[in-house]
Amino acid sequence: MIGLTNAVVRFGNRCVLDQLSFSAERGRSLAILGPNGRGKTTALRAMLGFQALAAGTRTAPAVVGYVPQYASSNQSYKVLDAVVMGRAAGLGLFGQPSARDIAAARDALEQVGALRFAKERFDRLSGGERQLVLLARALATGSKVLVLDEPGSALDLNNQARLLRLLSALRAPRDRAIVFTTHDPNHALAAADDALLMLPDGPALFGPVAETIVPELLERLYGVPMRLVNLIGEDGTGQNAVLPAFAGRRAA
Amino acid sequence: MSDRIRSGNRWLLGAGLALAFAGAAAAEEIVITDHENREIHLDAPASRIVTIPMPLASGVIALSGGTDRLVGLNPLSLTAIREGILGKIFPDAVNISDAVTGTDFVPNVEALAAVNPDLVVQWAGRGPEIVDPIVNAGLNALLIKYGTEELTRQYMTMVATAIGKPERIAELVDWSDVVQHDIEAKVASIPQDERPNVLYLGRSLSDITAAGDTGSYSSWYIALTGGRNAAAELDGTSSINREQIAQWDPEVILLNSFEPNLDVNWVYDDPILSLTKAAQQHRVYKMPLGGYRWDPPSQESPLTWMWLAELLHPELFDYDLRAEMTKAYKTLYNYQLTEADIDGIIWTAQQGDSLGYDQFAAQ
Amino acid sequence: MSTQIDDGGAIAPRWRPWSRTGFAFASFGVALMVAILVSLCVGRYSVSAMTALHILGEAIVHPGQAIESMDQRIVLLVRAPRVVIAAMAGAALATAGVALQGVFRNPLVSPEVLGISQGAAFGGALAITMGIWGVPLLGIVFIGGFSALIAVGMLARINGQTEILTVILSGMVVGSLFSACVSLLQFIADPNSSLPAIVYWLMGSFATATWDRVLVSAPGLLLGIALLWALRFRLNVLSLDDSEARSLGARPDQERWLVFVLVALIVGCQVAVSGIVGWVGLVIPHAARLIVGHDHRRLLPATALLGATFMVGVDTLARTLTAAEIPLGVLTAIIGAPAFALLLRRHFKDREAT
Repeated sequence: MIGLTNAVVRFGNRCVLDQLSFSAERGRSLAILGPNGRGKTTALRAMLGFQALAAGTRTAPAVVGYVPQYASSNQSYKVLDAVVMGRAAGLGLFGQPSARDIAAARDALEQVGALRFAKERFDRLSGGERQLVLLARALATGSKVLVLDEPGSALDLNNQARLLRLLSALRAPRDRAIVFTTHDPNHALAAADDALLMLPDGPALFGPVAETIVPELLERLYGVPMRLVNLIGEDGTGQNAVLPAFAGRRAA
Repeated sequence: MSDRIRSGNRWLLGAGLALAFAGAAAAEEIVITDHENREIHLDAPASRIVTIPMPLASGVIALSGGTDRLVGLNPLSLTAIREGILGKIFPDAVNISDAVTGTDFVPNVEALAAVNPDLVVQWAGRGPEIVDPIVNAGLNALLIKYGTEELTRQYMTMVATAIGKPERIAELVDWSDVVQHDIEAKVASIPQDERPNVLYLGRSLSDITAAGDTGSYSSWYIALTGGRNAAAELDGTSSINREQIAQWDPEVILLNSFEPNLDVNWVYDDPILSLTKAAQQHRVYKMPLGGYRWDPPSQESPLTWMWLAELLHPELFDYDLRAEMTKAYKTLYNYQLTEADIDGIIWTAQQGDSLGYDQFAAQ
Repeated sequence: MSTQIDDGGAIAPRWRPWSRTGFAFASFGVALMVAILVSLCVGRYSVSAMTALHILGEAIVHPGQAIESMDQRIVLLVRAPRVVIAAMAGAALATAGVALQGVFRNPLVSPEVLGISQGAAFGGALAITMGIWGVPLLGIVFIGGFSALIAVGMLARINGQTEILTVILSGMVVGSLFSACVSLLQFIADPNSSLPAIVYWLMGSFATATWDRVLVSAPGLLLGIALLWALRFRLNVLSLDDSEARSLGARPDQERWLVFVLVALIVGCQVAVSGIVGWVGLVIPHAARLIVGHDHRRLLPATALLGATFMVGVDTLARTLTAAEIPLGVLTAIIGAPAFALLLRRHFKDREAT
């Protein structure tokens, strides 16, 4: 549904993306991982069409539900008004949202569990709440593609957990494609089917989470020794997690 | 002369004493005290004069009886000369340099030096920026104040003294005094409520301006000729609107002579102004434009007073304006006015059918 | 205007969340009506309020009747067109201010930032220097404003994209250039005729309002207001970061220009008939935001109503306080600057509170 094929992006002489190919299909969720400065955000922007390609092609629907890492700082709109903007694509230049659009916005807020602050001012919400509202706005677009830029990076652990549960829940019906960038491979384990590893020393790797989120590749990705551990969750089922071996021998 | 000294005027007195002193001590030297109390020393009568204030150009021409002593003038003086009769009387006048100053009175020192003047007349009281360049160039600056009849007589005297023709200004002042006193005497008996409300509009076409009583020369000669300034409540010169004019409802409207595209139809065609008493009674007049514009003070001002006195109180006055003009132009410019010249100056073609204008008609 | 901002719950009646905004709009409407009526009833010429209202009523009931007495002419030919132009100009300038502040995401932006006002001023000064008035003057003012806009557009377009920062910098450059050209025209203008005209015109005034001028300026002003109003929801979207706006289906760098063109239209029409009037586009949107919030669907009409009221009120003061006309620009600045300072302080205190 959305992706890049042999995409090349250059900033001056520097080649930021070199022959990058990946895609997220309907019903699948893709996590993009990579160290700082390796081009995660550029790949995302290129995929969304915000960044011109020097070569290659972009596949994307006309409207993509996009959740920026930070919202425009000046948004003093009421939350519901902000979410209704998700309907803009279908309204055209001079269109005004109808009762149906407002209902869709309310549904989206409900879906992310943020309906209770529908009448608050967006810029008075906490970071986690804002992220939920932006997600609701992306859902309100009605697009079957959802793109999130580092959705967990500004959130505390509790909010990260909520967000990941939400992403899993959104994936569950298997009727949309979800793409997100992240620093934390555990987010990929929790909410993604596929992963794109933007390796610092070679071409990017694209494949199912089970084949890509493995200690050897992650060590290449971050340059830090990694360990895969299996945790028993509260409900008794096993759950994988990866840990950086910052503490060296002791953790090993 | 005695009258001037009696008026206790220290400027004139100063100039007079200076003259007397000059006559006693060094026959050649001329000393003038100007309006900023500066002494100007001239070894000989000034023969190359630059005038930066607008009305002075025609003043110098009138005092010296020709254009040969005027070597530089304000571009706006040149405009008045071209538009008015002076350009016809003195065709050479249009060739005098107007590069010596901008219309903002900032002198162009290079152009000033090029005409090599021995006297530069400049405004007093408008800051050193327009004076210093003249003085720093080593030139004689004569600074004058402007606005009242008294000041006008003072600076005209200074200029006459500078060019060594005091008899010219004496003649002029005598004439002014005679006319002024004659009008004052006749007007004195008019009760206040029989003095018409007169509105002089300094500008009309962009915005409309009028002036209150203080510092306004037009207000002074309106009072002199037996009128009341309709805009007396204004403080200085201000922009006003038609509604205000309707409220004042003047009995006479005087239009300025500065705006070339302005004539009395501007009033008659206006939905509001055409309902004023002045318009209803056809008492709207544009100020004449002769050797200089008749609105500000100049050597021709007595003609302005006679013209206006005849218009405001025709029953009191019987000046023969055409004869007075002919006589004055002969004296001032040594020029014999034709009937057509006079009609051109007082706009007979444009406002000949205004109330009272028949008395100015050619016989 | 959007009509359902309430939470539509079963208990809450629909009108309740709207009552505050509804009350605000009702007050704005009443204030504007009062301002217009008062303005028609007062002036330097004494017409009693009752007579004025009677004349007005007669004119509305029997349009096309001959206007003969001075009272009638003062009310219908002097005050009425002046009030109409002032109201339209106030509404249009304030609306243009809101729209620009929206697309620039900066509440301190005004048409001067784009160089439009300076371009329009240059056009007007040029026309006056050449002795041109009326509709041709409007045309030249308009061309001046648009040339400034196009110059800014060409300067700001780098690699096929226009960033907001480059637009603001280009606007500064172009604005300064046109300001210098206006100064040059003033320098060479005839101090007897065109210079006072230019100076007076640059100060701004509705004193020269006539029904002819209403007809000249109304189409552009009303079209500008109407199209910006039609864009009110889009303005919400355009007020987001470019990437967000783009992800929501907008094309910010093109649609911004539509807004700019409409602003140029408004400024051109207003400047042509009443000279440069500052502050309205800055102060009024701020005040409106405090009352109805930031959503352009409510902000735009609120701003238009407030702007019209403000302008009519200020112009009434300008022509009635003294026998002399007080320059409009002086009054809007004297009222606008402190009001703006106050609003700004409230705005930032408001921010800190969150």
